Amino acid sequence: MRSGFLASRLLQAAVTITLIIILNFLLFRAMPGSPERILGRNPNVTPEILAAKREKWGLDKPVIPDQLVAYVSSTLQGDLGFSFVARGQTVVEVLAQRLPATLLLFGLGEVIAIFLGLALGAYSGWRRGGPIDYLGNGASLLLYSTPYFLLGMALLLIFATALGWFPTFGMLTAGETYASIWDRLFDLARHLVLPVATVALGLIGQYAIVMRSSIIETLSEDYITTARAKGLSSLFVLRRHAIPNAMLPTVTLIAINLGYVVAGAITVEVVFNWPGLGTLTVEALSARDYPVLQGVFLLLSVSVVLANLAADLVYGALDPRVRT
Amino acid sequence: MSGIPVAAAPRRAHRTTAVDRARDFLGRFLRRPDAIIGIVVMVVFTVFALIPTVLVGALQTAVTAEGPRLGPPQAGFPLGTDELGRSMVNLTIHASRISMVIGLLATLVTILVGAVVGIVSGFVGGRLDAILMRIADFFLVIPTFVLAIILTSLIRDALGTGSAEVFGIRVGLLVIVVVIGLTSWSSTARIIRSETLSLKERAFVDRARVIGAGPGHIMRRHVLPNVINLIVANAVLVFAGAVLTETTLSFVGLGDPFQPSWGQLLDSARGVGAPSLGAWWYFVPPGVCIVLVVFAFTLVGGALDDVLNPKRRGRR
Repeated sequence: MRSGFLASRLLQAAVTITLIIILNFLLFRAMPGSPERILGRNPNVTPEILAAKREKWGLDKPVIPDQLVAYVSSTLQGDLGFSFVARGQTVVEVLAQRLPATLLLFGLGEVIAIFLGLALGAYSGWRRGGPIDYLGNGASLLLYSTPYFLLGMALLLIFATALGWFPTFGMLTAGETYASIWDRLFDLARHLVLPVATVALGLIGQYAIVMRSSIIETLSEDYITTARAKGLSSLFVLRRHAIPNAMLPTVTLIAINLGYVVAGAITVEVVFNWPGLGTLTVEALSARDYPVLQGVFLLLSVSVVLANLAADLVYGALDPRVRT
Repeated sequence: MSGIPVAAAPRRAHRTTAVDRARDFLGRFLRRPDAIIGIVVMVVFTVFALIPTVLVGALQTAVTAEGPRLGPPQAGFPLGTDELGRSMVNLTIHASRISMVIGLLATLVTILVGAVVGIVSGFVGGRLDAILMRIADFFLVIPTFVLAIILTSLIRDALGTGSAEVFGIRVGLLVIVVVIGLTSWSSTARIIRSETLSLKERAFVDRARVIGAGPGHIMRRHVLPNVINLIVANAVLVFAGAVLTETTLSFVGLGDPFQPSWGQLLDSARGVGAPSLGAWWYFVPPGVCIVLVVFAFTLVGGALDDVLNPKRRGRR
């Protein structure tokens, strides 16, 4: 049973990733400006040269299956082509330069949001109808309705421009020389506060809403009534019986939501000029650097699929009922 | 005294279908304060979207701008001005129209695709259902926003940049409508499908089939009317999502400066560095509008879902 569950989830993830690569291929084909059209503008290019080039690039072969197979196999080997804008750099190199900044920002924001969001959700669900529930639910819905970048702009205005507590942009102060690694880290931390706070605030609302309804659902289960009837204190019931069970659906929902969260993360980076994948996306978009855009899409989609796979496996390990 | 209920009883039972159900629904819906707040906000913004020119005059341009550049709120410009000297009141009200119309059209596309896929998938079942739901799951998992960015940009490059208009909206912005529709139909399809699956087992569907009705007829005349409640509740929530997506797409540079939406205004505000200059009046008005509209539609959608969806009735 256990291995069957694992295998089916792995297969599902593999199919999704294959679909993503095929979609990327189709997008590439739909792109305006084929190589031969651009070569054809040069009057010195004879039809013979064009034919030779087409053969060299494999454009003389049928789109399906030959070109598709070539594309999929080079993608699987980590060859995503060259950036149009960053001359001579491969897409993989461009992505690798930007990935750490995004991981740092996003990872920190995610962790903070998960802790605070789940705690808030669990508490409001437990004290349903109480003042914290009322306020928390309203605040969660309001945060959920606010685009991340708007939140970021407001925080930037208040804490960086008006109060001057934090720097307004970037990851490190430009042109600064540091006496020690600690000074450097401190500068980084100061730059991190506002963007991380924005990501965390944006996510807390969603997580709290999910956790709240999950807790409410769990509290109506028979085993909770049983636990109460045994005379256990309500706090004990909440901590040992309700929260662990309510966490299960929340894990999946957090993983599924990752795909949506990516959009928010992109815009937060833009607001704070954070040199990550988000600003890269917007730069590539305004320069029509399609290979980089597709690289971003591939990287983010595969990460989200893998995160979902991980969540499924964690879920399976936690809850024996789903191992089918 | 005792004769009245006896006489009224059969007639009541007969009428329960339409009028009473509508009254029951309205009564339950309007008893919720969140629904009332949501409706009020929706009405206000609908008025903004319908008659912006009556309210604040024509959309100001760089030529017709009269105010100081990036001026704070002052006499004549209660919400300040942008970097061209245009009144923020004028811009924000006109942006309501663009944001709301794009949101509405995108919702229609999303709901149309989602409802058709959901009903057909649930009703026909079998291999078609498996394939369609596999695709729906694919769109649920992947970061559709990045895909939307690429698609919008590609389609615009392919169409070329014209200034043709449909419904008073420039074609470049209509691309956004189609892209939002194509990338966000899957949750609607999932919801409608699961309802269709349970409807399919009901006696009236069997009865229609026995009479000789074809699948197309049953889907249109028996399944659709029974999922329409669900579609309406979902459409309200989809609208909130569509407005947010449009805002975000415009913010990353896919808006149209000649037909600014709220997201486009926010993009311009960021472009001139409004937050670092302390020019709060440039991004607070459009920002507040977005939050209010999305919030209102989420409240109303949630309330409708609670009231219309029998599974959720009585919870909360």
